[in-house]
Amino acid sequence: MFNESTGGGPDHAAILNVLARARPDGLKALAEAVLDGLGDIEVVTNRTGLVMVPLRDTVANVDFHLGEVLVSEAHITDGGGHVGYGMVTGRDLERAMAMAVIDLSIAANGAHAAVTTFIDSERAYLTAEDDMRMRQVEATRVEMETF
Amino acid sequence: MAYVATRGGEKAIDQAERLFRQDLGAIDAERVAAIRKSMPYLIDRVMGEASLYDEELAALALAQTGGELSEAVLVLRAWRTTQPRIAIAAPVQQADLLTQRRISAAFKDIPGGQILGPTLDYSHRVLATDVLEGTPFSPPEVEAADRPAPARQPALADWQRRQGLVAPATESDVAAEDIPDLTREPLLFPASRAHRLQSLARAETGGVLALGYAAMRGYGNAHPTVNELRLAEAEVVVRHPRGTSFSAGRVRVSQAEVTSKEKGGYLELGFAATFGWNEVKVIAAATLDLNSAEAPVGSAVHEEFYLYHTESVEASGFCIHFKLPHYVTFQSVLDAMRDAKAKQATASAAPAEILQTEPAE
Repeated sequence: MFNESTGGGPDHAAILNVLARARPDGLKALAEAVLDGLGDIEVVTNRTGLVMVPLRDTVANVDFHLGEVLVSEAHITDGGGHVGYGMVTGRDLERAMAMAVIDLSIAANGAHAAVTTFIDSERAYLTAEDDMRMRQVEATRVEMETF
Repeated sequence: MAYVATRGGEKAIDQAERLFRQDLGAIDAERVAAIRKSMPYLIDRVMGEASLYDEELAALALAQTGGELSEAVLVLRAWRTTQPRIAIAAPVQQADLLTQRRISAAFKDIPGGQILGPTLDYSHRVLATDVLEGTPFSPPEVEAADRPAPARQPALADWQRRQGLVAPATESDVAAEDIPDLTREPLLFPASRAHRLQSLARAETGGVLALGYAAMRGYGNAHPTVNELRLAEAEVVVRHPRGTSFSAGRVRVSQAEVTSKEKGGYLELGFAATFGWNEVKVIAAATLDLNSAEAPVGSAVHEEFYLYHTESVEASGFCIHFKLPHYVTFQSVLDAMRDAKAKQATASAAPAEILQTEPAE
């Protein structure tokens, strides 16, 4: 299932990674803004559900199921056959739909300035968050000495 | 088995539930949010045992059950069954984890180094009673390092394999859809490794600790040393309809490998992982995994014993069912007891009569 081609390519994956973790208020506001540029939209799916997460055992390299994660999913299409899709962890259908609308907008119209600005801004924000956390983590590095 | 119908209790049952909920008071989104924010490790424990990762729902389950953990896990597992399974994520691999705590007690200089991360391991356990006197506790901030820790750390077992310390392992080629799944098929013995590790991932923390501790104290054949312990975040990698793989978000996970002794020229390793940050559970569970191979049937470290007895919903359900009416089955115990007492009374009365009559003879 996950050994196939990457479909939309690395850029698409990078955009989706940012949208799925973007701050909700800005995400929803951007979706509202780009919605006007889209034609009629058909909602294929908008629901909560579960994603089973397997994990690879490091001893015998066996994949096993760790458990399921609650996600919200939105799958939409427009008259031109373009697909918009959003999936986010947690119970927030609006956030999933906002992600799908932005994804559809990019598929149909390309990433115009507002979208690019938002994605760049959120990517920078998320990177800064991770950077700060991992600098705090680095502060706990320990050099073991034995006597 | 016979059954007895009872009636007349409906009002009492209704009032009993009302009394339970009245004691807890009103529950609102604010209260749920406060639980979620203030008790992340309790939330992690509930999510792990419920096999359902959602912090908000775990907090809600704790709020409406008053922190009764087995009830909280039960309502979450029950809710889980109402949801469709949308997808199976790409298998999480250790080297891809955003690792925030990684230590080894077996090897001092591991590739990537040792990072303590968030822990109270080396702290004084002092209750902050000043808080009750009106002095809020504000933790001092971490003095962040100039550079970030590497987001990804190599798998220690891979390093050990390259040195010939750990047995080679063949690459998994099982499709995600074909991974054995305890939620859709029964646990049979001997269990597949996938079933064993899935069962341990959702096992009750206290139960796993008790049985793992028994193994550590000498009731198992292998004493554990932590080979590698990780607290981390894993990406939930799913598939877009156009085929693009992307992360829908992150979840907290714990992993532990424990090692014991040399066997067949290699170090033996036990492994466990769970949702959330719960290192006691994964160390104890990995110890049980380590001890499984040579465990005597019926011992606490035999997989059939520990997998059955750490399944929290079944165990707590079986325990609390004893509160339900058992009047008919218990009646047979009473009948047998009364019959035995009557016979005993008859038997003890007979010699007395003989004793009384003897002098007359």
